[in-house]
Amino acid sequence: MLAVKNVDVYIQASHILRSVSLDVGAREVVCLVGRNGAGKTTTLRTVMGYLRPRAGTITFKGVRVDGRRTHEIARLGVGWAPEDSGIFPDLTVAENIEIATWTRPGGSPAAERLARAYEVFPVLKTYAARKGPEMSGGERKMLSIARALALDPEMLILDEPFEGLSPAIVPVISASIATVTRLGHSILLAESNIHHVPEYADRLYVIERGEVIFAGQPHEAWKDPGVVRVIGGQT
Amino acid sequence: MRQALVLAVALAAVVAVPWIAPIYHVLLMLPFMAYGVVLLGLNLLFGYTGLVSFGHALFIGLGAYTAAFLTGLFKVRALEVILLTAAVVAAVVAMPVAAFCVRYVKIYFGMLTLAFGMVFYTFLLKFYRLTGGDEGMPVARPFLLGRDLGDMPKIEYLAGPYYYYSLVVLIVAIAVMWRIVHSPFGLCLKTIRDNPAKAETLGISVPHYRWTAFVISAVYAGVGGALLATPTGNVDPTLAYWTHSGNLVFMTLLGGFASFFGPLVGAFVFIYLQDFVMSVVPYWRLVFGAILAALVIFAPGGLLGLFPRRRVIEAA
Repeated sequence: MLAVKNVDVYIQASHILRSVSLDVGAREVVCLVGRNGAGKTTTLRTVMGYLRPRAGTITFKGVRVDGRRTHEIARLGVGWAPEDSGIFPDLTVAENIEIATWTRPGGSPAAERLARAYEVFPVLKTYAARKGPEMSGGERKMLSIARALALDPEMLILDEPFEGLSPAIVPVISASIATVTRLGHSILLAESNIHHVPEYADRLYVIERGEVIFAGQPHEAWKDPGVVRVIGGQT
Repeated sequence: MRQALVLAVALAAVVAVPWIAPIYHVLLMLPFMAYGVVLLGLNLLFGYTGLVSFGHALFIGLGAYTAAFLTGLFKVRALEVILLTAAVVAAVVAMPVAAFCVRYVKIYFGMLTLAFGMVFYTFLLKFYRLTGGDEGMPVARPFLLGRDLGDMPKIEYLAGPYYYYSLVVLIVAIAVMWRIVHSPFGLCLKTIRDNPAKAETLGISVPHYRWTAFVISAVYAGVGGALLATPTGNVDPTLAYWTHSGNLVFMTLLGGFASFFGPLVGAFVFIYLQDFVMSVVPYWRLVFGAILAALVIFAPGGLLGLFPRRRVIEAA
C-alpha cells in the first residue's frame, strides 16, 4: 500500500533522512521506532508531503505521492494524527470529527464514518459539544485519531500517539488502535519507546540518525545487538 | 435565545429609525448599512480565515464606480442590476488579485492587498478622461424595484425607500454570510485560520479556500460600495485610498473580529463616533488613533469581546 524507497531528505543544508525505505501493506500495523531526533517524524512528514525528498520515491496504492501537496495525499486516503494532536481549538469535538467527512467526500457515507469514529472512541460522543482546549491530553489524542479515521482513509499515520500520556491512558489508546486495525485500516505508527509498540504490530523498523538500521518482526529486534543498543535502554 | 432577543430588538430599532429619529441620524444609518455589508465580507477573510486585507477599499471603489458608470454612461438605473453588476465586477477583479495575494500570509498578504488597492487608486486618479480624476463621477439616483422615484425630494428618497432597500440588502447579506460561516466551508476556513498545515491533512486545499474567501469578501465589498455611492451622489478616488481600507480594519477591530456581528457593531460605532468627534474637535484622527491604541491594549476582542460568551457544554 505504502512504499518508501531510498528516500533522502534535507532540511536546509542538513541531511536528515539517508536512504530510508519502508513498506506498509494492506491491513498491516507497522511501527517506526527510534530515539528523539532519529528521524521518525521527518519520515512521516515526508510521506504526508510536508517535506520533499531530494532522492527516492514514495508511492501510495501504486501512485507516486512524493512532491504532491499534503491535501492531495490526504484525499488519496492517508489519515494523519500528529504528535501534538493538532486539534482545531475553535471547533467542537463533533465539528473536528465531522469536518473530515466534508473534505474527503466519496467512499463510505458520512454517517457510517462518524459512527465508526465514535465506535472506536465512545467517550468522544459525550464531549461532542466541547471545544478542543476543554479536553485532556489523552482525549485530544483520541480526537486526533478519530478525526483521521473520519477521513475514511486506507492508511493511518500516527505520530507518537502515546507521547506525554499517563500510563493509565496508554492501554486505552492502544486498545482503540487495535480496534482501528480490525476495521481494516493499515497503520504506520512512530514511537520513541519500544515498550509502547503494540503486540499486534506486524513489522518494526528502527531508525537511528536518519537511517533505518533494522527492519523485521518486532521480536527479532531484540536479537540484534546494534538495535538493542539503540532501543534497549528505554523504559 | 438571548442573542435572538437582542437581534430582534436591534432589528426593530433599525426599522423604526426613520419614524423616530431626526433625519440627520437616519442619513447616518445609510453608510452604516453599506459598510455593514462590506465588513461582513471583510470579516470572512479577517476573522474566519485569518488574513488581514489592507486593500479592500479597492473593491468598494469598484462597486461605487460601477454604480457611477451604469447610471451615468449606460443609463442603467435599476439598483438591482447595479448591485448585481458591482458584485460581478468585484468578483472578476478579485479572482486574479486573490490568486496573487493568497500565496502569502500575514504582513506580506496585507502589503500585497495594499499595493493592489493603491494601483487602482492611482488608476482612478490619473485616467481622468474615464474616471473624472480627483473630481470623480456623479451617480444618478437609481430606481428601486423598477420604480423611478425621481420626483421625490432627495432627503425623503434616502430616508424612506432607499433606507429600507439598504436594510433589506444588509439583512440578505447577513443571512447569506451566516449560512456561509456555519457551513462546512466556513468551518474549513476556521481550521485554516487556526492551523493551515494541519488543515491540509484533512484534504483541505488551503490556497483554494483562501482564494474563494477572498472573492466572496470582494463581492460583499463591491455591493457595499455600490450602496455607498447613492447617498453621496458622487464617487471619487478616495473611496479606494488606503486610509479607507484602514478604516475598514479599524471598524472590524472596534466591534470585534471574533464575533459574527462584531464588525456590524464596529461600523455603527465608528460612523457615529466619527460624526460626534468631528463635530467636537478638528483633530478627529488624533482621537481615533488614541481610541484604536486603547482598544488594542485594553479590549483586543473589540466591543463585543467585552461581553463574555456563554458556552454550552453537553452533559454526559
